[in-house]
Amino acid sequence: MMIPYRALLLVGSPKGPQSTSEALGTYLAERLRDRGLQFQKIRIHSALRTEKGIQSLFETVDRADILILAFPLYVDCLPAAVIRALELMARRRKSLPGRAGAGMIALVNCGFPEARHNETALEICRSFASEAKLVWLGGLSLGGGGAISGKPLNRIGAMGRNVRSALDLTAIALAEGKAVPPEAIEQMSRSLVPGWLYTLIGSIGWIHKAWRSGVLTKLNDRPYRP
Amino acid sequence: MRTLILNGFHRGDSRWQQASATLSEELKNRGWPCEEIRLCEMDIANCAGCFRCWTKTPGVCIVDDAGREVASRFAGSDLVVFFSPVTFGGYSSEIKKALDRLIPLISPFFKKIQGEVHHRRRYDRYPALIAIGMTEGDGEEKKRIFRKLLQRNVIHLHNPKSADGFIAEGEDPILVREKVRGWLQEVAR
Repeated sequence: MMIPYRALLLVGSPKGPQSTSEALGTYLAERLRDRGLQFQKIRIHSALRTEKGIQSLFETVDRADILILAFPLYVDCLPAAVIRALELMARRRKSLPGRAGAGMIALVNCGFPEARHNETALEICRSFASEAKLVWLGGLSLGGGGAISGKPLNRIGAMGRNVRSALDLTAIALAEGKAVPPEAIEQMSRSLVPGWLYTLIGSIGWIHKAWRSGVLTKLNDRPYRP
Repeated sequence: MRTLILNGFHRGDSRWQQASATLSEELKNRGWPCEEIRLCEMDIANCAGCFRCWTKTPGVCIVDDAGREVASRFAGSDLVVFFSPVTFGGYSSEIKKALDRLIPLISPFFKKIQGEVHHRRRYDRYPALIAIGMTEGDGEEKKRIFRKLLQRNVIHLHNPKSADGFIAEGEDPILVREKVRGWLQEVAR
């Protein structure tokens, strides 16, 4: 791939600035900026709300040298709005003479401790890249995204060491026009916290939220079937 | 078997019509009542990822739109068919907007299934699932991803049985009918 100059971060979480996707994507984009790249950020859910937003998305994607797609895993796949954006982008780019060499990477995080839940979503991203005439540079897959819960990666201490290191390595490679290195993929896939602790804290969190909402005794309700 | 067909073709795309008619006929021949929802005509908001369907109104999405209706019908069905153009190896955004809104049907709590953490079931029974992908000369790679996605969904949504298959654009209707019979047979066993 050519040496990139402009990076575009596409955030695919409806939570926008409060999302783990945006925290991951912003950290990587800032490391790329440290290496001299320009970067822009677009929140997909907002962009899709208007024709003007969609047009602006198209034009910004066309100008980018690297597309960074950061999203949460929703039911084993990309969120619906992200798929919609990719459908629109692929349709448009098929009919355009593509700018040679523009690349794409994906950052996906899921709410389960194991990063391997994200595999299918990354395969779909790779397939999109091929249809949209983008060079697939690889994907980073994070499990236990709830542990970050949208906080900037510089504020999560030792827990985020591997995540930051993976993104640092990725930034170095991308800035040199190379693909995501295998060490970065491996580091990102390491558990943030032990699986048993993650699910224990998660379960306590559900109970606490239900208690605050006054529905603790209804947590297992079956409203659609007895 | 009460059957719900979720039609995930976009507005203006009519490639589904013939295969959908065949599917409805074959369901009728089996005596399985069937309802088809064209998702592109439904007002379904994107899932906001707020999890309030677990912690505020357990089992029901807080957004009161057609997404609730789809979830309710999904829960009340014995068989659900996703009929979608194969989109980068997955489902179309129309199918996915409905699928993302089905998480109220499972529990927030966790369980290990096949060595991985997943969410527990909320209901005792879940429908069987068939995913039919319409291809336009797509390669084997996209079909492999599509099959894998369905298998992941089946674990996630606790579907007891499943089948998948593909229909090519303009495929011989006799072959399509044979395929549909095969898929229905697979989930009827």
